[in-house]
Amino acid sequence: MVHNVKLGQNMRSVSIVGVGATPFFNGITNKQYHGLTNGELFGYAALDAMKDAHVEPRDVQYFFHGSANPHVLNGCITPNLQVADWFGMRGKGSLSHSEGCCTGYIALEEAVMAVASGAYDIVLTGCGDQGTGMPDGNTPDHMRTALTTEVLFPDLDSIFDRAYGRYLGGGPGMNHDDWINFYARENGLTAEQVDDVLNHQAYHFRRAAELCPRAIRRTPFDQMAKDAGYDDVWEFMKSPHNPKMTQYLRTSSDSCVADGAACCIVVPTEIAHKYTDKPIEVLATGASVLDAIVPHLEKKATAEAARQVFEATGLTADDMDLLFVNDFIGSSAFLAAEEIGYLPKGEGWKSVLEGRIAFDGDKPMNTNGGRTSYGHAFGASGMADIFEAVTQMRGEAGERQIKKMPKHTFLRGFGGAQNVRATILRANF
Amino acid sequence: MDQNRISTEEFWNPEHVVEKFWNGLKDGVIYAKKCKECGAIEFPPHHACNECGYHDTEWTTLKGTGMLKSFVFTGLLNARLELEDMGLKYVCGEVQFDEGPEMNAVILGINKKKGREIMDKLPVKVRPVFFDMGRYTTLFFELDEDEK
Ligand SMILES: [Zn+2]
Repeated sequence: MVHNVKLGQNMRSVSIVGVGATPFFNGITNKQYHGLTNGELFGYAALDAMKDAHVEPRDVQYFFHGSANPHVLNGCITPNLQVADWFGMRGKGSLSHSEGCCTGYIALEEAVMAVASGAYDIVLTGCGDQGTGMPDGNTPDHMRTALTTEVLFPDLDSIFDRAYGRYLGGGPGMNHDDWINFYARENGLTAEQVDDVLNHQAYHFRRAAELCPRAIRRTPFDQMAKDAGYDDVWEFMKSPHNPKMTQYLRTSSDSCVADGAACCIVVPTEIAHKYTDKPIEVLATGASVLDAIVPHLEKKATAEAARQVFEATGLTADDMDLLFVNDFIGSSAFLAAEEIGYLPKGEGWKSVLEGRIAFDGDKPMNTNGGRTSYGHAFGASGMADIFEAVTQMRGEAGERQIKKMPKHTFLRGFGGAQNVRATILRANF
Repeated sequence: MDQNRISTEEFWNPEHVVEKFWNGLKDGVIYAKKCKECGAIEFPPHHACNECGYHDTEWTTLKGTGMLKSFVFTGLLNARLELEDMGLKYVCGEVQFDEGPEMNAVILGINKKKGREIMDKLPVKVRPVFFDMGRYTTLFFELDEDEK
């Protein structure tokens, strides 16, 4: 790959002035939420974001709708026009996009460009996915049924290159464990040490989710251990109650599939204070995309996207106060943190064991619990991270508020085998 | 229509790159492309060079031998279902061809015991396996060990 992209300066600076998000939940098993539809979910999140920005639907000029797999999960291929009427934007311009689990981060990148270009002043961008279910035949949207493995498993392959990759070695297999395996060899970690690191990481992310009412998995591991008859939580984490799903990843390091939606409103920074006292400026977004046939693709694409965004902003990892990593592959969290320099090279695993990556540690990350605890509504997950980032940067995260008010937050998006984005936000107040 | 007018098929007669690649595997030939500017091998073959970003490449072939540099065992979450269905023992790993290009690959014939045995000897030699999948033949690898 060629590393010669140098990001330019946007035509004008863009800031986030409103955010909204539904909880992440299981729409099949949760009786209170069963029957909610894509349009309703996206609509609730969109109206929340508008309320937060003190605007009405009439004020918004254009919107983006992101979802990872609208065809299989929702029986549609142009969800933008199917959701528009739910929040008063009938007849206005909009666009659907779909980049797997990276969708939510790209949603912000796209909206920023729409405003930075000068084309629009007030843009809504959001994502919604209902990952737990699928349409129950050809019926209205509230009639949904559990997503079966017969439908899901063959369809998962559609993120891999169909010309070659998925029929050679670029399909599942290396996808989950390639990086952690490479890291363990590079740094001389035993399988037991890796297990400890991943269990500690999951444990600390769950501690944050316990304090986050929008998260899907909120029961602390201490409680789960006790309920299962273990005095020692770490013994529980290594027990058959938390089985290995791959060579390295246990259930606690695997994402929890969910339904949910999240949105934000972006405007030119020069008028941002009209909408909020606490605008969050989007400084830049680096991007790199590699197919799953490329060895160590996540490491390579993360390094490249981070290089671009640091170069464009003149900032370094030392300037970052908070980090989000899309960690539907649990190990991605601390590995990406290390790759971008947020944790020291070769020693990030120690920071995890010491709990420094927890919301109350000095290197906080994934303060909503991340994909393993907050849940994973595929395309919506990235926007849920942006929601949490803005909440933390405004100092509104309550019990899970990080110790130091974050000036800069770094988001590492990842997904769709695999798109990578690296975005830096700055508290502009 | 003017009989002298050029037909669409004469006007545009592109190579079928993907088809040629898969047909090659059926015959035990591994097609790749070579960059006309930097000389890098583009594998699997595409129109342009992804190493240096030059537009033009030409056909070449690979021997199929190379080194297995790292590998993982699969579990419930990331198994290759088509191989599990055939009851095959395999690992997924990073293979570098002798000619240079690297890829994620499937290496057949490695069970847990064998895997643990070679883990500390990496990189180890591999050779190609032209594997019949029924409607197409694909490229997997196996350990290239001296006679046992
Ligand atoms: Zn070249």
